[in-house]
Order: sequence, then C-alpha cells, then structure tokens
Amino acid sequence: MKKFSSYNEIKKFLREVIFIRAKIIKLAATVVVVILLTTISFTGCTKPVEKPVEKATIVFAVGGASSEVDYWHGVIDKFQTANPNITVDLLLQPMETETRMQTLVTPLSGKESTPDVFLMDVAWVGQFAASNWLAPLDDFISKDNYDLSVFFKKTLDFADSYKGKLRALPVYIDSGLLYYRKDLLNKYGYNTPPETWDDLVKMAQKVQEGERKSNSNFWGYVWQGKQYEGLVCDFLEFIVSNGGNILDQDGNPVINSQNNVQAVTFMRDLINKYKISPPNTYTEMTEEPVRTTFQSGNALFERNWPYAWGLHNADDSPVKGEVGIAPLPHFAGGESAATLGGWHIGMNIYSKNQDAAWEFIKFVESFDTEKGFAMNLGWNPGRQDVYDDPDVIAKAPYLKDLRAVFIGAVPRPGVPYYTKLSEAIQRYVNSAIAGKMDPKDALDKAQEEIKTIIAQYTG
Amino acid sequence: MAEQGHRSIIPSRFRGSRATEERFAYMLLAPVVILVGGLILVPVTGTFIKSFYRDVAFLPPVKFIGVLNYKRLLSDIHFLQSTLFTVLFAIAAVLFETVLGMFYAVVINEKFRLRGLMRAIVLIPWAIPTIISAKTWSLIYNFNYGLLNYVFTHLHLSSHPINWLGTSASAFFSIVIADVWKTAPFMAILFLAGLQSVPRELYEAAEVDGASLSKQFFRITLPLLRPVIVIALVFRTIDSLRIFDLIYVLTGGGPGGSTSSVSIYGFKSYILGDFGYGSTVSVFTFLLIFLFTVFYLKAGRFSEGLKL
Repeated sequence: MKKFSSYNEIKKFLREVIFIRAKIIKLAATVVVVILLTTISFTGCTKPVEKPVEKATIVFAVGGASSEVDYWHGVIDKFQTANPNITVDLLLQPMETETRMQTLVTPLSGKESTPDVFLMDVAWVGQFAASNWLAPLDDFISKDNYDLSVFFKKTLDFADSYKGKLRALPVYIDSGLLYYRKDLLNKYGYNTPPETWDDLVKMAQKVQEGERKSNSNFWGYVWQGKQYEGLVCDFLEFIVSNGGNILDQDGNPVINSQNNVQAVTFMRDLINKYKISPPNTYTEMTEEPVRTTFQSGNALFERNWPYAWGLHNADDSPVKGEVGIAPLPHFAGGESAATLGGWHIGMNIYSKNQDAAWEFIKFVESFDTEKGFAMNLGWNPGRQDVYDDPDVIAKAPYLKDLRAVFIGAVPRPGVPYYTKLSEAIQRYVNSAIAGKMDPKDALDKAQEEIKTIIAQYTG
Repeated sequence: MAEQGHRSIIPSRFRGSRATEERFAYMLLAPVVILVGGLILVPVTGTFIKSFYRDVAFLPPVKFIGVLNYKRLLSDIHFLQSTLFTVLFAIAAVLFETVLGMFYAVVINEKFRLRGLMRAIVLIPWAIPTIISAKTWSLIYNFNYGLLNYVFTHLHLSSHPINWLGTSASAFFSIVIADVWKTAPFMAILFLAGLQSVPRELYEAAEVDGASLSKQFFRITLPLLRPVIVIALVFRTIDSLRIFDLIYVLTGGGPGGSTSSVSIYGFKSYILGDFGYGSTVSVFTFLLIFLFTVFYLKAGRFSEGLKL
C-alpha cells in the first residue's frame, strides 16, 4: 500500500492515476474502433447468404462419460449436415444421474424455453410428465405417420405414456444382468450359471473358498447396495424374483409382504451369513466399484447393467473372454426379474422450436443413429429392429438374448412422486442390509412411510 | 491531513449543507442496498412465503395451506434424524476445527525458518474444492484399496480391512475428520490475523512478571482473540449446518439414512419438484442457523468485544 506524507502528494498521485486512466480509455477506444471497422469491411465483402426459410437453434442437454458425449457430438454434426436450417447446441450436463436431473428441474420449473430436447432416466419420466414439462408427441407422430411399432411396446406403455399421451421415446434400454466367470465355474465343476439364488450361494461359497487360498480379496457375488437409486433397482429384482413388488396393480404399497421380508433377509445374509458379498456392499458399492471388483478378477458373480459387457471384454481387461451373461437368479418358485433402466428423449413443453426439436428426436431415434449406439457405445437400442441387423449381431451376439430380457423387464413404479418413494426405500433397505434394522421392522416402517408419501402427493 | 483530504475529495456540488452530504451518503449506499435487497431480501422473503403453500410441480394448482408444511416437517422422523445429525455434526466439527485451527495459528505465528512455506502448506486443504477433497477422502476410507486400511493391515493394527463408513458412529466421525482436515486452515487464517494484532509488549510484560506460556495463552491471547473467535465460530457453524457435498460423495446419507443432513433432505424435496415443502426445509435451516448465531453473539459477549 502506498503511503503519503502530504496532501499535495495525494493530489499528485490522483492526477497521475487519472492521466493513466485516460490513456487506457483512449487505447481501448482505438481497439474497439479498429475491430468494428474490420468486421464491417469483412461483412461488406462477403456475399449475403440466402436466408433459409426457417432457421432454428435448439439446445440439447446431455451428459455422461466422455465417450458418450463424443458420440453425441458426432450425432449432432450429422444432423446439422442433413438439416442445414437447424443448429443444435449441446448443453453438457454432469455425469451423475441425480445432478443431471437437477439441471433439468431448475429450467423446467422456471418455464424456460431451453433446453429444447433432453435425455431422462426412465425413473423420472413419470414426474416430468405429471409436472407437464414434456410436450405430447402424439400430434407430431400422426402428422408424420411415424412408426411406433419398432419400439419395445411395454416400455412405451409403462414408461413413456402419461394419461394416454406419449411424452417420451426410449433412446436406449437397460436391465439388470448376471455376469459370471466361465473359467472359474468350469474349474470348480459347474457347467451352467445359477438358476436360483440358492444355487448362486452354493457355487459362490465353493469357488470363494478355493480362490481365497491364492487371492484374499476374492468375493462370490458383488452387487449395488449403497444408499442410492441403484439399490432400489437391485432390491426390485430380489423381491420380484420372489413374487413380491413395491406397489400392487392399484398403486397400493405392498412392500412389507412376507415374500419381500424373505428377500431382504436374503440380501442381508449374502453379506452377514454366507459372507459371499463384501461388507462395503452397503457403504460403497455402486455400479462402477462393482464392475471394477469383478473386472480385476476379484469376484465370481456380478449384478450390473449391460454397459459392463463391453468393458469386461476390452483389450486391457484381465477377465476378457472369460465372462458370461445370464438372467439374474430367482427364488424357488419365483421367476427371474430384471429392473428396467435406460434413458429416454423428451421435448420441453415450453420450447419455441418444437418442429426443429421433433426433427432432432426423429434423427436420434433413426435406425442409423440407434445402430451407432450399439456399435460404438455398446448400448442397447430402444428400437427393436436394430437387434436384427447383421452388423449388430456380428458385433454383439449377446444382444439377441438381451432382447428377451428387455421385453420382460420390470419397471420401477411410474408415479410422479417416485423420487420420494425411492428415497424411503433406499434408506430402509440399506438399514436392513447394514444390520442396523431387522428386515421385517425396516419394511414395516417403509410401508408406513410410503403410505404417508402417497397420501401427501395424490389429490 | 485526513480531514482536509476527506473534504476535498467530495465533489463540490455535494459539499456544504448537512442535507446534501446525507444525500451523497445515500447515493453511495444505494448499490449495496439494491444488491442486498435484490439478491438476498427478495428471495428470502419469497422462500418464507412459499413455505406456507402447497407448490408441487405435478400437483397444480398452488394452494395456501397455512402451517401444514411445518407440521409435516416436524412429524417426519427422517427429518428430525437429519436435524439431529446436522447439529451434532456442526458441534463436533466446529469444536475440533477451532482447537486445531488455533494450534495451527499459534505455530505459524511464531518466527522460524521456512515459515512462509509452512503457512502455504497449512492452507492447501482449504484451497481444494470440497468435491475433490471429498473424493480423495472416499479413496482413503475405501474398503478394498483405501489408504487407511492399507496402513492398518500393514501395521497389524487390524487383521482384516475395516469398513470405515459401515456404522452410524464410524461414518459420523469419518465425515467429521474429513471436514476438519479441510476447514481447520480457514480457522487458522482468521486466528492468525487476530494474533498479529495482539501487541508484543503484553507478552514481554507477562514474561517479566513470570507468567508461564500456558498462562500467557489463556490470560492474554484468548481474551484478546475473543471477537475473532466468535466471528470464526459463526462462519464455520453456518457452513457446517449446511453441509451437503462431503456427505453426498462419502456416504450418500447412509448407512440407513443415519448421516443424512438437513440440506440433503431439502435437496431431495427440491428435485422432486415440491417447492413449498423444500422452502419449509430452507426456512427451518435458516432458523436453526439464526439460533446458533444469536447464541454465539450472546455467549461471546460480541458487542462488548467490539468496544475493546
């Protein structure tokens, strides 16, 4: 800090400052004038471009891993070449699902006209549609005679429709799968993956005991148990494969049924009693830790989404070529169940460029773009006809089997207050598998809380 | 000199009568008033009003419901549990941060070789964005390949890896430690600034009188630092009562919702599109922080401290 000894010095200093400032302003003004002149002269030289009839710019919000974002950039480039009148700006979202949701809730609840088009996790479509944030697509579809029969019917009916109007279209489909190590099953004398959860426990215990001799980090079965949305997906698979569910067909909660208590007790036992799932299942296990545990050769069975297949078989994967996939096991007397996941594309109801937005949605849902998802990203297209394509079959022969699993995938409750239901389920089920609460007690409390939530958010 | 300079800096048209000087003062204050009013007062009032409405995006229309949101809030066990966690967390974290921050400050206030470097090192944790330090700590606590389990199993302190985030209590302290590591430096800076304003002569006089070091600390340093300590406590308590990102990354509120904070609870209402109830949670957080602040200002005899 400058120190002044007399009033005159201050005056002198101020005068200097003012002088310098005047010089800076002069310089800045010159720069501005020069820039202005050059732009004017350049625009003067170029020939005026023919004004297109209908020029529109739409904003498309998408997030995810860098490979996914790269692919979307490619999709946008192709779209813009095919539709020179429409410019698509990519609004990059975070990777994490819940924060991606937040970046959409903010503009939509503020009735913003952008983003015009965005991707939604299947679990939010109910809330977004009920909030009337999604433009109905029916008029566009009838105007263009757009063929909906290529999509999975159950997905359109249960996930994408709200009050009889279509609000979204599936971009890609996910469902829970069992990954297993073919080499290890053979080594211990098994020829087929487990059919029932009891089979899984028996196989896992035997293999784990043998493998622990050389690898103390080896686990029989890894799955998603941290307190987060993924736990609800795994939980749904366990209970539905025992004949249970969260809500019945009329929307009443049935979460504390005897079958569900049995299923949750089994989930806890995997960690505490059979000790084939690690203790950090309920603190750290989300999709990626589960995948890396299996991929580094430290697990026999893994529950994960289809995205793990490509990574397990990548060139740098230690388990490359040794991995098999199968439907998830079921309880005795039950049927295998896979939770429906995946991302859907929707249009902002406040968008000012709905026609352009619809053109872009059609482009994303086109056969070629959807085929690209399967070929480049290992995603499972929302269109069924892609599954018959020879290139796709050659690149991903397992898709044929997956298609059957997708057709039967179990959706999570499509209610608008799903986020709240999910939060309560995560909390109580995590409590039960962490051994903090008795499974029956936890599910009874969840039942009460879900009843309160339903009362609060209906009518 | 000051008086003379002060008068002539004011433009001549504002010089003179008291009334015009007052007008000039208002003009100078106007930007602050507009900023505070527009950016703080309006939204805060809006949130307060909204907390008396049912405003759910998927349940139109918006409807006045009086104190129903507040009733619902106070009857929700999960909310009460989140509040209890948040308050306990704030108390534990702020307590450890103050003690550790004071220790840092006293050390880096002394003259020694490489003091500048030491001051920089102490500050580093605070300069790291929370989301990054939270990720780092989640790697440290990791069950399979975490640093902590590596140290514990290699030093034979434990025969098997420990699930650090596995119980309510261990998750609680894991979060407190990560938070203290990050924010103790902030306390240290504030205390250091305070320490530097304590006149050296006081210590010299105390030494002449034969007062021990600890006596000097408790009789000179602490009382003179009181206003600074109160400010630091207010800042840090407000911050820790709003804890969000550290928990979101480390535990997600688990196990079994035992580490869910008030902010996480409010966030879930917000992404659900329940803006009325979300506002109620915000107003409650505001009241909670307000109570703590009033307590500090009273207990710390802050207004008295300012007159020192």
